[in-house]
Amino acid sequence: MLALAGLILWGSFAWGPRPLAPSPAQVTAGYGVRNAVAAVVLGARLWDTLLEVLVFAVAMAGVRFGLSPLPRAGKPTPLPESHLLARMGDVLFAPVAVFSLYLALSGHLGPGGGFPAGAILGSGLLLLALAMGMEPLSRRLHEGTLERLEYGTVAALLGAGVGMGLAGRWGPGWFVAVNLAIALEVAIGAWVVLHRFAAHRGEL
Amino acid sequence: MAGPVGLATAVGLAGLGFFVLAVRRELIFKLLGLHVASGGVGLFLVATGHRPGGIAPILGLGPGPTVDPLPQALVLTAIVIHFATLALALVYVIYLTERHHSQDAHRLEREEE
Repeated sequence: MLALAGLILWGSFAWGPRPLAPSPAQVTAGYGVRNAVAAVVLGARLWDTLLEVLVFAVAMAGVRFGLSPLPRAGKPTPLPESHLLARMGDVLFAPVAVFSLYLALSGHLGPGGGFPAGAILGSGLLLLALAMGMEPLSRRLHEGTLERLEYGTVAALLGAGVGMGLAGRWGPGWFVAVNLAIALEVAIGAWVVLHRFAAHRGEL
Repeated sequence: MAGPVGLATAVGLAGLGFFVLAVRRELIFKLLGLHVASGGVGLFLVATGHRPGGIAPILGLGPGPTVDPLPQALVLTAIVIHFATLALALVYVIYLTERHHSQDAHRLEREEE
C-alpha cells in the first residue's frame, strides 16, 4: 500500500520526464471548436459525458423518490423580512441568468460550458428562493413541467448523442446545443435538490 | 497554482478527508470527509496536468506549451457526479436518522443486526 502510494507520488510530482501535453490545435482538429476541454468532453469522450448526465438524472430522481415517504417539514419558518434581500434577489437574478446563458453559448470558444452554466443558474435560483421563499418560487416555476423537461432533456441528449456518434459530423452548432441542454439539466437538478431538502428539512 | 504546490495541497486534502471518513462515527461527518477527499482527488488530477509555463488549452490564446486538457475534462464531470451522489447519500442519511434517531455508524450497525 505504502509502496503504491509512493509510486503514485513519485510519478505525479514530475521527478521524471513528463510528456508534453498535446497542443489545442491537435485536440480540437475536426470538431470546429477552440476550447480543447470542450472538444474532449463533448467530442472525444462524449459517451462519458452523456452517461454521466444520465447518472445525474437518476441520482436526482433518487433524491425525489427517496425523500417522498419522509414527513414534510411543518410550516416553513418565516424568512426574516428583508427588503434588501428581496430587491437584490430580483435585480441580480437577471444578470446571473444571462451570464449562465453566455457561458453555455460560448463554452466551445473559451472557458465555460454546460456544467458551470447549470451550476451558476442553480445558484441564481437559490438566490431567488432566499428572496421569495422556496414554496412560492416552486409554484411559479411549475415543478411538474420542470421534471418532464428534465427527463425530456436527458432523452434528447442521449438520442442526439447516438445519432451524432453514428453520423460523426461535428460542428459548433452541436457543441452549443449540447452545452445548453446540459446547463438546463444541471440547473433543474440543482433546483430539485434544493427544493426537496428545503421541503423536508425546513427552510435554510 | 504551481504543479507541486497543487499536488501537495491535493494530497493533504485527500488525506484529511479520508482521515475524517475513517475516524469520525457520525454519518454526516463521514460524508463531509468524503466530500473533502473528493475535492483533493479532483485537485490532484488537475495538478497532474500541469506543465511548466503552460497556458489554458484554448486555441488562439498564444504560443507556448499548454496544460493537459484531459484531466480537466475528467474532473469537470467528476464534480457534477459528486454533487449528485452526495445529495443522494444525504437522502439516505436523513432516512436513517428519521428511522433510528441516530447517526452513529456503530450504533446503526448494532441496531440492524
